[in-house]
Amino acid sequence: MATTAVPTSISSDSMPSDPYSGIWGWITTVDHKRIGILYLYTALSFFIIGGLEAVVIRAQLQGPNGQLVSAEMYNQLFTMHGTTMVFLAIMPLSAAFFNFLIPLQIGARDVAFPRLNAFSYWVYLFGGIFITVPIFFQLAPDGGWFGYTPLTTRAYSPGINIDFWVIGLQILGVSSLAAAFNFITTIINLRAPGMTLMRMPMFTWMSFVVQFLVILAFPVITVALVFLLFDRFFGTQFYAVAAGADPLLWQHLFWIFGHPEVYILILPAFGLVSEVLPTFSRKPLFGYPVMVYSGILIGVLGFGVWAHHMFAVGMGAIADSIFAVSTMLIAIPTGVKIFNWIGTMWQGQLRFTSAMKFAIGLVALFTIGGISGVMHSSPPADLQQTDTYFIVAHFHYVLFGGSIMGIFAGIYYYFPKMTGRMMSERLGNVHFWLNFIAMNLTFFPMHFSGMLGMPRRIYTYDSGQGWDTFNLISSIGAYMLVLATAIFLYNFFMSRKRGEVAGSNPWGAGTLEWTIPSPVPEYNFAVLPTITSRYPLWEGTEEAAESARINSQEGKTSEELGIVLPYSTVKPMIVALAMVIMFCGLITTMALTFLGAAIMVLALYSWLLSPLEPEHH
Amino acid sequence: MSAPAAHHYTTTGLDSRKIAIWAFIGSECMLFISLISTYLIYKGRSIVGPFPHEEWTSPDGRHFEPILDILVTSASTFVLLMSSLAMVLALSAVQNKNLPKRTRGERILGSSKLWLWMTALLGATFLGFQAYEFTSFVHEGLTLSTNLFGSSFFTLTGFHGAHVTAGVIWLVSLLAIDYRRGLGPADALNVDIAALYWHFVDVVWIVIFTVVYLIQ
Amino acid sequence: MKGNFRLRQFTTFGFVALAALALAACAGEYPNTTFEPKSELARSIDFLWDRLLLLGTIVFVLVELALIYVIFRYRRRPNDNTTPPQTHGNALLEVTWTLIPAVILIFIAIPTVRTIFETQSKVAAGALEIEVIGHQWWWEFKYPQYNIVTANEIYLPAGVTVNFKLTSADVIHSFWVPQLAGKRDVVTNRTNYIWFTPDSTLGPSVWNGFCTEYCGSSHANMRFRVFTVRPEQFESWVAGQQQPAAFGAVASAAPPEGTPTRPQSGTGAAGGAAPAIPRPPGSTVPGADSFPAPAPIGDGATAQLAAGYTFPEHLPEFAYARPNSALPRGLTFSKGLTGNAARGMQAYNTTACIGCHVITGNPMSVGVIGPNLTHFGSRSTIGAGTFPNTPAYLALWIKNTRAMKPGSIMPTMGTNEYDPILKRTVTIGGLDDQQIADIVAYLMSLK
Repeated sequence: MATTAVPTSISSDSMPSDPYSGIWGWITTVDHKRIGILYLYTALSFFIIGGLEAVVIRAQLQGPNGQLVSAEMYNQLFTMHGTTMVFLAIMPLSAAFFNFLIPLQIGARDVAFPRLNAFSYWVYLFGGIFITVPIFFQLAPDGGWFGYTPLTTRAYSPGINIDFWVIGLQILGVSSLAAAFNFITTIINLRAPGMTLMRMPMFTWMSFVVQFLVILAFPVITVALVFLLFDRFFGTQFYAVAAGADPLLWQHLFWIFGHPEVYILILPAFGLVSEVLPTFSRKPLFGYPVMVYSGILIGVLGFGVWAHHMFAVGMGAIADSIFAVSTMLIAIPTGVKIFNWIGTMWQGQLRFTSAMKFAIGLVALFTIGGISGVMHSSPPADLQQTDTYFIVAHFHYVLFGGSIMGIFAGIYYYFPKMTGRMMSERLGNVHFWLNFIAMNLTFFPMHFSGMLGMPRRIYTYDSGQGWDTFNLISSIGAYMLVLATAIFLYNFFMSRKRGEVAGSNPWGAGTLEWTIPSPVPEYNFAVLPTITSRYPLWEGTEEAAESARINSQEGKTSEELGIVLPYSTVKPMIVALAMVIMFCGLITTMALTFLGAAIMVLALYSWLLSPLEPEHH
Repeated sequence: MSAPAAHHYTTTGLDSRKIAIWAFIGSECMLFISLISTYLIYKGRSIVGPFPHEEWTSPDGRHFEPILDILVTSASTFVLLMSSLAMVLALSAVQNKNLPKRTRGERILGSSKLWLWMTALLGATFLGFQAYEFTSFVHEGLTLSTNLFGSSFFTLTGFHGAHVTAGVIWLVSLLAIDYRRGLGPADALNVDIAALYWHFVDVVWIVIFTVVYLIQ
Repeated sequence: MKGNFRLRQFTTFGFVALAALALAACAGEYPNTTFEPKSELARSIDFLWDRLLLLGTIVFVLVELALIYVIFRYRRRPNDNTTPPQTHGNALLEVTWTLIPAVILIFIAIPTVRTIFETQSKVAAGALEIEVIGHQWWWEFKYPQYNIVTANEIYLPAGVTVNFKLTSADVIHSFWVPQLAGKRDVVTNRTNYIWFTPDSTLGPSVWNGFCTEYCGSSHANMRFRVFTVRPEQFESWVAGQQQPAAFGAVASAAPPEGTPTRPQSGTGAAGGAAPAIPRPPGSTVPGADSFPAPAPIGDGATAQLAAGYTFPEHLPEFAYARPNSALPRGLTFSKGLTGNAARGMQAYNTTACIGCHVITGNPMSVGVIGPNLTHFGSRSTIGAGTFPNTPAYLALWIKNTRAMKPGSIMPTMGTNEYDPILKRTVTIGGLDDQQIADIVAYLMSLK
C-alpha cells in the first residue's frame, strides 16, 4: 500500500486551482473537477428545495382533511418535488461524480471535450432555475412529474404551468445528452495505457452504461415533449383527443424513456457502493466480471420493461404477460449485485466509516425497494398496488434508500479527494443513523397505507379510512429527515474549512484516483500512469507503483511539468444562456427566440473556431 | 471545427471526435425511430382528411385527392442520394489534396470546393423540394393542425429537413474555411465527421421515404 | 461504529415498530383494505399477493440476516492490521445465487400469467352491464339494460357478475374499489373493461371507490360509493331509479333527447307501490342500446320489495363511508330558512342549472354536462363523495361549489361569493339564500 504523503500546503479554499481566480474563474472553468464541484453544490441546493417541497407535502398530509395548502398548490408541490428530485437533484449529483471522478479513475487529464462539459453544467443550471422559479409565483407545473396527456394538453391545462415543465425538461435534456456524448468518448478513448475495460473501476463502468442509457432514452422523451410542445403552441393534434389521438402514445413514449431513467438514477449509486465496500472491507469487489455484466444487462433489459408502469391501462393479456416476465427477469441481475456486495464484505476486515455505513445502508434498503418492485411485476397484484402509496413506498426505497444513500456514501468517501480535508466522522455517524431511522419512519408506513387503499397524489384524505396513523408517522419521519440533512450540510461546510487535513489516500483504497494528491492538482496526473491491475495500489506491478509514486508528489505546477492545459473560456456559458433565452421566447415573445438563437449561433461559431488549448508539440 | 489539435494519447488511436459523432448518430437514430413510430401508429387513424394515399370528401362537400406526390418526392430523394455521392467525393478530395493531379479529370475530382458546393447545392435543392411540398400541401388544405396525419407528417419531415439545413450550414462553413486557408489532409477528420452526419441524414430520408411515401 | 449497543437498540425498535404496524394493519377499522377480498377477482389477486409477500419476506429475511451477520462477524477488531484473504469471486456460488432467484421468480411468473388470462377473458353471458364515464371530477354511471343513469354511486346485487365498460369524457382517470377489485384506468378514446362478481354472501355493504389516476385539481375529491345489496334490494332500487322524478314530473310528449321512454304509472309520488318490471328473457328495452338482458337476479322466489330501496348509509356501522371533508373557511348560509319544493322547482327551471343537468320528468332540465339529478335525493353524498347529502351541505354546495370542490366547472350560483377560479367576488347564478333553500328542498325531494 502506498504511504500517504504529508501535504505541505493547502490552498486557502481547499479547492483545485485555476488560472482565473474568484467567481470569473468558476464561470470560465473547463476543468472537470471544478465542473463536478459546481454540479455538486447546485444539485445539493435543488435537493434542499425538493426536500422542502416534500416537507410541505407531508405537513399537509400529516392528518386527515388538512388545510395547510390549497389543492392547486399541493398539485404543484408534488409535481415539482418529483421533477426536482429526479432531474435537478439525483441526476446532477451523479453527474458531479461523473465529472469529478471518471478522468481520475481512468488516468486522464480531463474529459474528451472540456468545453462541452462546461456547457452541460450551465445548461443544467439555467434550465433548473427556469423550471424552479415558477413555484414562487404559484405557477409551477402541476401535471405530475410524468405529465400524462390529455391532462397536460392545452385543453385541460390552459395555464403557463405545463409550458414551464415541457420547455424546462427539453432544456435539461440537452444538458444530459451533451454530457453523455462526452463521457462515452472519454471512457472509450482516454483510458491510461493498460487500463482495459475489465480493469476499469466499477463506478466508471456503471457510469459508462448510464451514458448509453442517456443517449438512447432521452431522444424518446425529447420527441414526446416535442409533440406536447407543438400541441400546446402550434396546434398539432398528437394528444388531441378530439382528433382521435391516443393518450397512450404519451405514456409509451414517456416510459420508454422513464424506465431506463430509473436505472440512470440508480446505477451510479451502485457504482459508488462498489468503490466504497471493497475499500472498507480491505478486499477486492467480489465477482467483478459478474458485476460488470449485470450492470450491462440491467441497462439493456431496462429498455424492455417500460410498460410495467402501464399495467392498469388495459393493454391486453399478452402485453401484460410479456412485460411482467421481462420485469421479473431484470430482478435477477439486480439481486445478484446485492449478493456480490455481501460477498465482498464476507471475510473482510470491515471499517464502519460514514461512507461505509451509507454503502451498507444502500444494500439494506435497496433490497426492500427491490422486493416491493418484484411485487409490482405481477400485473394482477399490481392492479391493487399501482397508483397507491405502496408504489410511493417502493420508489422512495430505491431512490432514497438506494440512490441518495449511495450518493452520500460517495460524498463522504470522495470529500477528502475533492477538498483535501476529512468530514467529521462523528457528525457523519449522527447523520447516518438519523437518516436511516427517519427514512424508514417516513416510507415504511406507506407500504401499509397503500395496500389499505390510499391513492397517490391526493391533496387530502378523509378521516376514518384507517390511514391517519401511518401518515402521521411518515410526516414525523420527514421532519427528522430535515434535521438529518441539516446535520450533513453543517458537516460538509464546516469540514471544508476546519476538517482534518487528508493525504492522497486517507482510506487506504486501491484505485487510481487515490494515487494523486488531495486536493487534486489541476493536471491530475504528472505522468500518465501505467495500469496493470484493477487495484493499482493493492495489486500493481513495480512499474505501476513507480508511476503512482511520481503522481503522488505534491506542489508541482503544470508549467513545471510541461503539461499544457485547456484555455478557460466563457463561451460555453454564453451558448448555454443563449439557448435558454431562445426557449424562453416560446412563452414570452418570439423576438427573444430569434435573439437567443442569433447569440447562440455566433457564440457557437466562436467556440468551435477557437482552439481548445495553446499550441504545443 | 477548431484547428486540428495536437496529437494526444488515446486508448483506441482514434480521434475523440470520431467516437463522439457515432454516439451522436446513435442518439439521433432513437429520435427518428420515435418520430417514425408515431407516424406509423397514427397511420390510418385520422378522422378527417386530407389523407396520404386515399381520396376524401369532406362533410361540406369538398373533394381531396391523395395528397402525397410520389413522383416528385422520388426526384427529391434522388437529389439527396446524389448529394451523398458528392460528399464522398468531397471527402476524398480533401484527403488527397496533396497528391499530384495530372489529368483534367483528376483535377475535377480533386476539387474539394467543387464537391462541397455540389453537396450543399444538392442538399439545398432537396430542401427546396420540401419547401415546395409543404407550401402546396398547406394550399391543398393539410396543415400541422388539420389531423393526425398532418401533425405527424410535418413534424417528422420537418425535423428531417431541419437536420438537412444544419448539414448545409455545416458544409458552407467548411467551404468558407476552404476558401480562407484551404482544406487539406489535416482537416480530413473534420470533413469525415461532416460526411458521416450527412450520410446519416440521407439514410434517415430513405427510411422516411419508404415508410411514408412508398408503403400504403 | 459505536459498538453493538446502538445497533441492538435500533434492531429491537425496528422489530417492535414493524410488529405494531403489522398488527395495526390486521386489526381495527380499515374500510379500504385490499387484504380482505370480497369478490373472486379480488381473491385471485390476493392469492398472488400472499405468495409475493411470502417469497418477498423470505428473501428479505435471508438477505438482511446475511448482511447483519457479516457486519458483526467481520468487523475490524481494534489494532488488527492483517490483510484479509483477497478473494476475487467464486463461480459456483455466483451461478447458484443467480439461478435461485430465477427459480423463485418462476413461482411468481406462472400463477401471474394464468391469472392475467383468467381475469382478462371475455365476461360470461348474462352479466350485469354498467357503463362508467369518468369526468373531471365525478363519475357517471349508466345501467343500459335498465335505462338508468346516475352519478357517483352504484348498486350491485351480491353474487351477480358485473361487467364495467370504462370510458372517459375528458382526461385519464382510474376506477378502483379496493375491496372488490383491482383498478382499471379510464382512458379517453379508448374503452376498457373490468368484470368481477361480488360474493353472494355479502349482506348490504358499502365500499369506497376512488379515482386513482391523477386527473387535475380535485382528483382527491373524485370518489364514489359501491353498495352491494341483496338481489331483491337491487330490484327495488332499479325500479325506483327507473321512475321519473319523484316530484313535479311531467308526463311529457317529447322526452329529453337521450332519455329512453318508459311506460309510467301516474306522476311520480315516492313511496307508492311500483308495478312489476317486465323482463322477458332476451327482449330488449325500447329505446336502449341492444344489450342482452341480464340473467334473472336471485332465484325468483325472493321477496319483492317496494320500489325505491336505498342503502341505509346513516346506520352507525357505515360511518366510515360518510365523508368528513372540512368545509372551506368563509362560507356562510342564513339560518332558519325553510325551503319549498314547488318554489324550488320554479327557481331551478329558471337558472343555469337546467343547462348542465338532466332530471327525467322535468322537460326543462336537459343539460348533459353535469350529473343526472333525477334521483338526487336518494343519493348518499354530494360532490362525488366529498360531502354528505344533507340540506345544509347541499345549500352551501349550490351557493359556492368552487370553494367546496377545487376546480369545479359548476359555476358559483350564489350572490357576491368569492370564486376561487376567477379569483374575484362574483354574482353569476345570483341566487339568494332563500331561493337556494327552495332549490334544496326540490332536489332533496327527488328521491
